[in-house]
Amino acid sequence: MKNVILWLFGIEESALSDPVTIAAIIASFAVIAAVIAVFIVLAVKRRFRIREWGNKAWQRTKLITQSCFFMLTNSFMVGWFKGTIYQGKLKYLCVPGMNCYSCPGAWGACPIGSLQAIFNDFDAAKSWVDPKTGTYVKVPKYWFAFYVIGLMMLIGAVCGRLVCGLLCPFGWVQDLIYKIPVKKLRLPRDEMRIANSKHPKAVRFFLGLDKYLRYAKYAFLIVMVIFLPLMVKADPWFCKYVCPSGMLLGGIPLMSMNKSLADAAGSLTLLKLCILASLVVISIFLYRPFCRYICPLGAIYSFFNKVSLYRYGIDDASCNRAKGCAACAHACPMGVDPVRDPNSLECIRCGTCAASCPKKAIRPGFRFKTAEGNAIRTKKSK
Amino acid sequence: MKKESKTSRYLIPAALIVCALAFIVTGILDKEVLTVLRKAAAICMECIGLG
Repeated sequence: MKNVILWLFGIEESALSDPVTIAAIIASFAVIAAVIAVFIVLAVKRRFRIREWGNKAWQRTKLITQSCFFMLTNSFMVGWFKGTIYQGKLKYLCVPGMNCYSCPGAWGACPIGSLQAIFNDFDAAKSWVDPKTGTYVKVPKYWFAFYVIGLMMLIGAVCGRLVCGLLCPFGWVQDLIYKIPVKKLRLPRDEMRIANSKHPKAVRFFLGLDKYLRYAKYAFLIVMVIFLPLMVKADPWFCKYVCPSGMLLGGIPLMSMNKSLADAAGSLTLLKLCILASLVVISIFLYRPFCRYICPLGAIYSFFNKVSLYRYGIDDASCNRAKGCAACAHACPMGVDPVRDPNSLECIRCGTCAASCPKKAIRPGFRFKTAEGNAIRTKKSK
Repeated sequence: MKKESKTSRYLIPAALIVCALAFIVTGILDKEVLTVLRKAAAICMECIGLG
Protein backbone atom coordinates (compact mmCIF):
# COMPACT_ATOMS: atom_id res chain seq x y z
CA MET A 1 0.00 0.00 0.00
CA LYS A 2 2.77 2.39 0.97
CA ASN A 3 4.70 1.60 -2.22
CA VAL A 4 1.58 2.17 -4.32
CA ILE A 5 1.10 5.61 -2.73
CA LEU A 6 4.76 6.48 -3.25
CA TRP A 7 4.55 5.39 -6.91
CA LEU A 8 1.22 7.11 -7.50
CA PHE A 9 2.26 10.41 -5.96
CA GLY A 10 5.83 10.26 -7.30
CA ILE A 11 7.36 11.12 -3.94
CA GLU A 12 10.28 9.77 -1.88
CA GLU A 13 9.69 7.71 1.25
CA SER A 14 11.24 10.47 3.39
CA ALA A 15 8.43 12.82 2.29
CA LEU A 16 5.95 10.72 4.29
CA SER A 17 7.43 12.04 7.52
CA ASP A 18 6.15 15.51 6.64
CA PRO A 19 2.65 16.12 8.10
CA VAL A 20 1.78 18.57 5.30
CA THR A 21 2.48 15.89 2.67
CA ILE A 22 0.37 13.36 4.60
CA ALA A 23 -2.50 15.86 4.86
CA ALA A 24 -2.18 16.60 1.13
CA ILE A 25 -2.29 12.91 0.21
CA ILE A 26 -5.42 12.41 2.32
CA ALA A 27 -6.98 15.52 0.73
CA SER A 28 -6.18 14.17 -2.76
CA PHE A 29 -7.94 10.88 -2.03
CA ALA A 30 -10.89 12.76 -0.50
CA VAL A 31 -11.29 14.95 -3.60
CA ILE A 32 -11.05 11.95 -5.98
CA ALA A 33 -13.60 9.98 -3.89
CA ALA A 34 -15.98 12.97 -3.76
CA VAL A 35 -15.75 13.50 -7.53
CA ILE A 36 -16.38 9.80 -8.27
CA ALA A 37 -19.37 9.88 -5.88
CA VAL A 38 -20.82 12.93 -7.67
CA PHE A 39 -20.40 11.27 -11.09
CA ILE A 40 -22.13 8.11 -9.82
CA VAL A 41 -25.04 10.15 -8.44
CA LEU A 42 -25.38 12.06 -11.74
CA ALA A 43 -25.31 8.81 -13.72
CA VAL A 44 -27.82 7.05 -11.43
CA LYS A 45 -30.18 10.04 -11.61
CA ARG A 46 -29.82 9.95 -15.45
CA ARG A 47 -28.65 13.54 -15.43
CA PHE A 48 -26.48 12.99 -18.51
CA ARG A 49 -29.56 12.25 -20.65
CA ILE A 50 -29.65 15.77 -21.99
CA ARG A 51 -33.04 15.60 -23.72
CA GLU A 52 -34.87 14.44 -20.59
CA TRP A 53 -34.05 17.65 -18.73
CA GLY A 54 -34.82 21.27 -19.42
CA ASN A 55 -32.01 23.62 -20.36
CA LYS A 56 -31.72 25.07 -16.84
CA ALA A 57 -31.23 21.65 -15.23
CA TRP A 58 -28.81 20.58 -17.98
CA GLN A 59 -26.70 23.75 -17.53
CA ARG A 60 -26.43 22.88 -13.82
CA THR A 61 -25.38 19.29 -14.61
CA LYS A 62 -22.90 20.56 -17.18
CA LEU A 63 -21.30 22.96 -14.70
CA ILE A 64 -21.07 20.23 -12.05
CA THR A 65 -19.45 17.87 -14.60
CA GLN A 66 -16.94 20.51 -15.67
CA SER A 67 -16.07 21.41 -12.07
CA CYS A 68 -15.72 17.76 -11.07
CA PHE A 69 -13.50 16.93 -14.03
CA PHE A 70 -11.29 19.92 -13.25
CA MET A 71 -11.00 18.75 -9.64
CA LEU A 72 -10.29 15.17 -10.72
CA THR A 73 -7.45 16.07 -13.09
CA ASN A 74 -6.02 18.69 -10.74
CA SER A 75 -6.32 16.92 -7.40
CA PHE A 76 -2.60 16.43 -6.71
CA MET A 77 -2.92 18.29 -3.44
CA VAL A 78 0.77 17.99 -2.54
CA GLY A 79 1.40 20.46 -5.36
CA TRP A 80 -1.30 22.89 -4.19
CA PHE A 81 -0.11 22.66 -0.55
CA LYS A 82 3.61 23.01 -1.25
CA GLY A 83 3.83 25.02 -4.47
CA THR A 84 5.38 22.19 -6.49
CA ILE A 85 4.16 20.04 -9.40
CA TYR A 86 3.46 16.34 -9.82
CA GLN A 87 6.47 14.37 -11.05
CA GLY A 88 5.09 10.83 -10.98
CA LYS A 89 4.50 8.33 -13.73
CA LEU A 90 0.89 9.36 -14.53
CA LYS A 91 2.39 12.28 -16.44
CA TYR A 92 3.12 9.85 -19.26
CA LEU A 93 -0.56 10.32 -20.09
CA CYS A 94 -2.16 13.41 -21.59
CA VAL A 95 -5.40 14.80 -20.20
CA PRO A 96 -8.07 15.47 -22.85
CA GLY A 97 -8.43 19.25 -22.33
CA MET A 98 -6.21 22.34 -22.15
CA ASN A 99 -4.73 21.68 -18.72
CA CYS A 100 -1.18 23.00 -18.21
CA TYR A 101 1.21 20.35 -16.88
CA SER A 102 2.78 23.03 -14.73
CA CYS A 103 -0.44 23.43 -12.79
CA PRO A 104 0.43 22.41 -9.18
CA GLY A 105 -2.46 19.96 -9.07
CA ALA A 106 -2.16 18.41 -12.55
CA TRP A 107 -1.83 14.64 -12.68
CA GLY A 108 -1.41 14.45 -16.45
CA ALA A 109 0.30 16.22 -19.31
CA CYS A 110 -1.18 18.90 -21.58
CA PRO A 111 -1.67 17.45 -25.09
CA ILE A 112 -0.67 20.66 -26.89
CA GLY A 113 2.41 21.13 -24.67
CA SER A 114 3.37 17.48 -25.21
CA LEU A 115 2.96 17.81 -28.96
CA GLN A 116 5.37 20.73 -28.99
CA ALA A 117 7.76 18.94 -26.62
CA ILE A 118 8.00 16.03 -29.06
CA PHE A 119 8.59 18.37 -32.01
CA ASN A 120 11.21 20.23 -29.92
CA ASP A 121 13.18 17.10 -29.10
CA PHE A 122 16.33 16.79 -31.22
CA ASP A 123 18.68 14.01 -32.15
CA ALA A 124 22.08 14.91 -30.65
CA ALA A 125 23.88 12.29 -32.76
CA LYS A 126 22.60 13.77 -36.02
CA SER A 127 22.79 17.44 -35.04
CA TRP A 128 25.88 19.37 -36.14
CA VAL A 129 27.69 22.71 -35.97
CA ASP A 130 27.49 24.74 -39.17
CA PRO A 131 31.14 25.64 -39.99
CA LYS A 132 30.14 28.82 -41.85
CA THR A 133 27.95 30.41 -39.20
CA GLY A 134 29.12 28.49 -36.13
CA THR A 135 25.52 27.77 -35.10
CA TYR A 136 24.37 24.43 -33.74
CA VAL A 137 21.91 22.91 -36.20
CA LYS A 138 19.42 20.71 -34.36
CA VAL A 139 17.92 17.81 -36.28
CA PRO A 140 14.44 16.91 -34.92
CA LYS A 141 14.26 13.50 -33.29
CA TYR A 142 10.64 12.99 -34.28
CA TRP A 143 9.00 14.28 -37.46
CA PHE A 144 5.59 13.01 -36.37
CA ALA A 145 4.22 12.80 -32.82
CA PHE A 146 2.63 9.34 -33.01
CA TYR A 147 1.90 9.05 -29.30
CA VAL A 148 0.22 12.41 -28.68
CA ILE A 149 -1.57 12.50 -32.04
CA GLY A 150 -2.73 8.92 -31.39
CA LEU A 151 -4.15 9.93 -27.99
CA MET A 152 -5.92 12.97 -29.45
CA MET A 153 -7.20 10.87 -32.35
CA LEU A 154 -8.57 8.28 -29.92
CA ILE A 155 -10.42 10.91 -27.90
CA GLY A 156 -11.58 12.68 -31.07
CA ALA A 157 -12.79 9.47 -32.72
CA VAL A 158 -14.84 8.59 -29.65
CA CYS A 159 -16.39 11.94 -28.78
CA GLY A 160 -15.09 14.80 -30.98
CA ARG A 161 -15.38 18.23 -29.36
CA LEU A 162 -17.39 16.91 -26.42
CA VAL A 163 -14.11 17.44 -24.55
CA CYS A 164 -14.38 21.20 -25.22
CA GLY A 165 -17.95 21.37 -23.97
CA LEU A 166 -17.67 19.25 -20.84
CA LEU A 167 -14.08 18.38 -19.90
CA CYS A 168 -11.78 21.29 -20.69
CA PRO A 169 -10.68 23.29 -17.62
CA PHE A 170 -10.10 26.50 -19.56
CA GLY A 171 -13.51 26.14 -21.19
CA TRP A 172 -14.98 25.77 -17.71
CA VAL A 173 -13.22 28.97 -16.58
CA GLN A 174 -14.65 30.85 -19.59
CA ASP A 175 -18.13 29.43 -18.86
CA LEU A 176 -17.90 30.70 -15.28
CA ILE A 177 -16.81 34.17 -16.43
CA TYR A 178 -19.64 34.29 -19.00
CA LYS A 179 -22.09 33.85 -16.12
CA ILE A 180 -21.38 37.44 -14.98
CA PRO A 181 -24.76 39.08 -15.58
CA VAL A 182 -24.12 41.82 -18.16
CA LYS A 183 -25.51 42.36 -21.67
CA LYS A 184 -23.98 39.71 -23.92
CA LEU A 185 -22.68 40.04 -27.46
CA ARG A 186 -24.94 37.66 -29.38
CA LEU A 187 -25.56 38.43 -32.99
CA PRO A 188 -28.72 37.32 -34.81
CA ARG A 189 -27.96 34.73 -37.49
CA ASP A 190 -31.12 34.45 -39.53
CA GLU A 191 -31.83 36.86 -42.36
CA MET A 192 -35.16 38.10 -40.99
CA ARG A 193 -33.73 39.04 -37.61
CA ILE A 194 -30.68 40.67 -39.22
CA ALA A 195 -32.95 42.75 -41.49
CA ASN A 196 -35.07 43.78 -38.49
CA SER A 197 -32.08 44.74 -36.33
CA LYS A 198 -31.25 48.43 -35.78
CA HIS A 199 -27.88 48.19 -37.57
CA PRO A 200 -28.10 45.37 -40.14
CA LYS A 201 -24.83 46.42 -41.88
CA ALA A 202 -22.90 46.34 -38.61
CA VAL A 203 -24.40 42.94 -37.73
CA ARG A 204 -23.36 41.56 -41.12
CA PHE A 205 -19.85 42.99 -40.69
CA PHE A 206 -19.38 41.39 -37.26
CA LEU A 207 -20.86 38.09 -38.45
CA GLY A 208 -18.36 38.06 -41.32
CA LEU A 209 -15.50 38.98 -38.98
CA ASP A 210 -16.50 36.19 -36.57
CA LYS A 211 -16.71 33.70 -39.44
CA TYR A 212 -13.18 34.40 -40.68
CA LEU A 213 -11.62 34.80 -37.21
CA ARG A 214 -12.73 31.25 -36.43
CA TYR A 215 -10.16 30.00 -38.94
CA ALA A 216 -7.43 31.58 -36.78
CA LYS A 217 -7.37 28.54 -34.48
CA TYR A 218 -6.25 26.39 -37.42
CA ALA A 219 -3.52 28.92 -38.17
CA PHE A 220 -2.39 28.77 -34.51
CA LEU A 221 -2.28 24.98 -34.76
CA ILE A 222 -0.30 24.83 -37.99
CA VAL A 223 2.07 27.73 -37.34
CA MET A 224 2.66 27.89 -33.57
CA VAL A 225 2.18 24.26 -32.55
CA ILE A 226 3.64 22.40 -35.55
CA PHE A 227 5.68 24.56 -37.96
CA LEU A 228 7.65 26.87 -35.66
CA PRO A 229 8.60 24.26 -33.00
CA LEU A 230 9.61 21.75 -35.68
CA MET A 231 11.27 23.90 -38.32
CA VAL A 232 12.36 27.22 -36.82
CA LYS A 233 13.41 27.06 -33.17
CA ALA A 234 13.05 24.39 -30.51
CA ASP A 235 10.66 26.33 -28.32
CA PRO A 236 7.08 25.58 -27.28
CA TRP A 237 5.90 28.62 -29.25
CA PHE A 238 2.20 28.38 -28.43
CA CYS A 239 2.79 27.72 -24.72
CA LYS A 240 5.42 30.44 -24.53
CA TYR A 241 3.76 33.31 -26.37
CA VAL A 242 0.01 32.61 -26.33
CA CYS A 243 -1.39 29.98 -23.95
CA PRO A 244 -3.48 31.74 -21.27
CA SER A 245 -4.27 28.39 -19.63
CA GLY A 246 -0.61 27.95 -18.64
CA MET A 247 -0.57 31.37 -17.05
CA LEU A 248 -3.85 30.87 -15.21
CA LEU A 249 -3.42 27.30 -14.01
CA GLY A 250 0.38 27.17 -13.77
CA GLY A 251 1.97 30.61 -13.70
CA ILE A 252 -0.23 32.45 -11.22
CA PRO A 253 -0.46 29.65 -8.58
CA LEU A 254 3.24 28.76 -8.79
CA MET A 255 4.44 32.35 -8.71
CA SER A 256 2.16 33.17 -5.78
CA MET A 257 3.62 30.24 -3.81
CA ASN A 258 7.30 30.54 -4.82
CA LYS A 259 9.13 33.80 -4.28
CA SER A 260 12.05 32.69 -6.48
CA LEU A 261 9.71 32.17 -9.43
CA ALA A 262 7.89 35.44 -8.79
CA ASP A 263 11.24 37.26 -8.77
CA ALA A 264 12.04 35.83 -12.20
CA ALA A 265 8.93 37.42 -13.77
CA GLY A 266 9.66 39.69 -16.70
CA SER A 267 8.31 40.98 -20.00
CA LEU A 268 7.11 37.55 -21.11
CA THR A 269 5.10 37.22 -17.90
CA LEU A 270 3.56 40.61 -18.61
CA LEU A 271 2.69 39.60 -22.18
CA LYS A 272 1.00 36.41 -21.03
CA LEU A 273 -0.83 38.21 -18.23
CA CYS A 274 -2.13 40.75 -20.78
CA ILE A 275 -3.37 37.94 -23.07
CA LEU A 276 -5.06 36.25 -20.11
CA ALA A 277 -6.63 39.51 -18.87
CA SER A 278 -7.91 40.34 -22.38
CA LEU A 279 -9.51 36.92 -22.74
CA VAL A 280 -11.09 37.19 -19.30
CA VAL A 281 -12.62 40.57 -20.19
CA ILE A 282 -13.83 39.37 -23.63
CA SER A 283 -15.27 36.21 -22.01
CA ILE A 284 -17.64 38.37 -19.95
CA PHE A 285 -19.39 39.50 -23.15
CA LEU A 286 -18.64 36.82 -25.73
CA TYR A 287 -19.07 33.08 -25.16
CA ARG A 288 -15.71 31.25 -25.13
CA PRO A 289 -13.50 33.53 -27.25
CA PHE A 290 -10.46 31.30 -26.70
CA CYS A 291 -12.29 28.20 -27.98
CA ARG A 292 -13.72 30.11 -30.96
CA TYR A 293 -10.60 31.80 -32.25
CA ILE A 294 -7.42 30.48 -30.64
CA CYS A 295 -7.53 26.95 -29.21
CA PRO A 296 -5.37 24.54 -31.30
CA LEU A 297 -6.68 21.56 -29.34
CA GLY A 298 -10.26 22.46 -30.26
CA ALA A 299 -9.06 22.80 -33.86
CA ILE A 300 -7.72 19.23 -33.77
CA TYR A 301 -10.86 17.79 -32.15
CA SER A 302 -13.07 19.69 -34.61
CA PHE A 303 -11.75 17.53 -37.47
CA PHE A 304 -13.33 14.53 -35.71
CA ASN A 305 -16.75 16.10 -35.05
CA LYS A 306 -18.28 14.72 -38.22
CA VAL A 307 -16.85 11.21 -37.93
CA SER A 308 -16.77 10.52 -34.18
CA LEU A 309 -18.67 7.68 -32.56
CA TYR A 310 -20.62 10.12 -30.35
CA ARG A 311 -22.44 12.54 -32.61
CA TYR A 312 -25.33 14.94 -32.64
CA GLY A 313 -28.20 13.93 -34.89
CA ILE A 314 -31.55 15.35 -35.96
CA ASP A 315 -34.78 13.43 -35.93
CA ASP A 316 -36.22 15.24 -38.94
CA ALA A 317 -39.63 13.62 -38.42
CA SER A 318 -40.01 15.41 -35.07
CA CYS A 319 -38.17 18.64 -35.91
CA ASN A 320 -40.33 21.75 -36.25
CA ARG A 321 -37.91 23.74 -38.42
CA ALA A 322 -40.31 23.67 -41.36
CA LYS A 323 -42.89 25.43 -39.16
CA GLY A 324 -40.44 28.21 -38.35
CA CYS A 325 -39.01 26.94 -35.05
CA ALA A 326 -35.35 27.85 -34.50
CA ALA A 327 -35.07 27.38 -30.74
CA CYS A 328 -31.85 25.37 -31.04
CA ALA A 329 -30.14 27.89 -33.32
CA HIS A 330 -31.06 30.76 -30.99
CA ALA A 331 -29.93 28.82 -27.91
CA CYS A 332 -26.53 27.73 -29.31
CA PRO A 333 -23.89 29.88 -27.58
CA MET A 334 -21.33 29.09 -30.30
CA GLY A 335 -23.55 30.45 -33.07
CA VAL A 336 -24.14 27.12 -34.81
CA ASP A 337 -27.43 26.06 -36.41
CA PRO A 338 -27.71 22.40 -35.30
CA VAL A 339 -30.54 21.56 -37.71
CA ARG A 340 -28.55 22.73 -40.72
CA ASP A 341 -25.29 21.10 -39.58
CA PRO A 342 -25.62 19.00 -36.40
CA ASN A 343 -21.91 18.17 -36.32
CA SER A 344 -20.44 21.51 -37.33
CA LEU A 345 -16.71 21.98 -36.73
CA GLU A 346 -17.65 24.83 -34.39
CA CYS A 347 -19.99 22.75 -32.22
CA ILE A 348 -18.45 22.12 -28.78
CA ARG A 349 -21.23 19.66 -27.87
CA CYS A 350 -22.26 21.59 -24.79
CA GLY A 351 -25.78 20.13 -25.12
CA THR A 352 -27.57 23.48 -24.90
CA CYS A 353 -29.39 22.94 -28.23
CA ALA A 354 -30.59 19.44 -27.29
CA ALA A 355 -31.82 20.66 -23.90
CA SER A 356 -33.58 23.65 -25.50
CA CYS A 357 -35.41 21.79 -28.28
CA PRO A 358 -39.17 21.79 -27.51
CA LYS A 359 -39.69 18.67 -29.68
CA LYS A 360 -36.63 16.79 -28.34
CA ALA A 361 -35.56 16.34 -31.96
CA ILE A 362 -31.83 16.78 -31.35
CA ARG A 363 -30.33 13.43 -30.49
CA PRO A 364 -26.82 13.38 -29.03
CA GLY A 365 -25.43 9.88 -28.78
CA PHE A 366 -24.25 6.79 -30.58
CA ARG A 367 -27.44 5.70 -32.33
CA PHE A 368 -28.52 6.12 -35.94
CA LYS A 369 -32.21 5.44 -35.38
CA THR A 370 -34.68 6.59 -32.73
CA ALA A 371 -36.61 4.10 -30.58
CA GLU A 372 -39.62 4.81 -32.85
CA GLY A 373 -37.57 3.80 -35.90
CA ASN A 374 -37.05 7.32 -37.31
CA ALA A 375 -33.71 7.92 -39.00
CA ILE A 376 -31.32 10.23 -37.15
CA ARG A 377 -29.55 12.55 -39.56
CA THR A 378 -25.99 13.39 -38.56
CA LYS A 379 -25.03 15.03 -41.85
CA LYS A 380 -25.65 18.56 -43.14
CA SER A 381 -29.13 19.27 -44.50
CA LYS A 382 -29.28 20.10 -48.20
CA MET B 1 -32.65 12.28 -48.34
CA LYS B 2 -30.11 9.47 -48.41
CA LYS B 3 -30.30 7.50 -45.16
CA GLU B 4 -27.15 6.88 -43.20
CA SER B 5 -26.28 3.20 -43.01
CA LYS B 6 -25.15 1.43 -39.87
CA THR B 7 -21.84 0.64 -41.55
CA SER B 8 -20.98 4.23 -42.45
CA ARG B 9 -22.11 5.42 -39.00
CA TYR B 10 -19.75 3.11 -37.13
CA LEU B 11 -17.08 1.97 -39.60
CA ILE B 12 -15.19 5.27 -39.89
CA PRO B 13 -14.90 5.90 -36.12
CA ALA B 14 -13.92 2.25 -35.57
CA ALA B 15 -11.17 2.54 -38.20
CA LEU B 16 -10.00 5.78 -36.59
CA ILE B 17 -9.89 4.17 -33.15
CA VAL B 18 -7.82 1.24 -34.47
CA CYS B 19 -5.51 3.69 -36.24
CA ALA B 20 -5.19 5.79 -33.04
CA LEU B 21 -4.29 2.72 -30.99
CA ALA B 22 -1.64 1.78 -33.56
CA PHE B 23 -0.23 5.33 -33.36
CA ILE B 24 -0.12 5.16 -29.55
CA VAL B 25 1.73 1.83 -29.60
CA THR B 26 4.16 3.17 -32.23
CA GLY B 27 4.78 6.25 -30.07
CA ILE B 28 5.40 4.15 -26.98
CA LEU B 29 7.84 1.88 -28.85
CA ASP B 30 9.58 4.94 -30.26
CA LYS B 31 10.02 6.28 -26.68
CA GLU B 32 8.03 9.45 -27.35
CA VAL B 33 6.42 8.94 -23.95
CA LEU B 34 9.78 9.60 -22.30
CA THR B 35 9.94 13.00 -23.98
CA VAL B 36 6.41 13.74 -22.75
CA LEU B 37 7.27 12.70 -19.19
CA ARG B 38 10.57 14.62 -19.19
CA LYS B 39 8.78 17.81 -20.23
CA ALA B 40 5.71 17.33 -18.05
CA ALA B 41 7.51 16.36 -14.84
CA ALA B 42 9.50 19.62 -14.63
CA ILE B 43 8.06 23.11 -14.26
CA CYS B 44 7.67 24.43 -17.81
CA MET B 45 9.14 27.94 -17.57
CA GLU B 46 7.80 28.94 -20.99
CA CYS B 47 4.27 27.88 -20.07
CA ILE B 48 4.19 29.91 -16.86
CA GLY B 49 5.54 33.02 -18.56
CA LEU B 50 9.13 32.96 -17.33
CA GLY B 51 10.75 32.04 -20.67
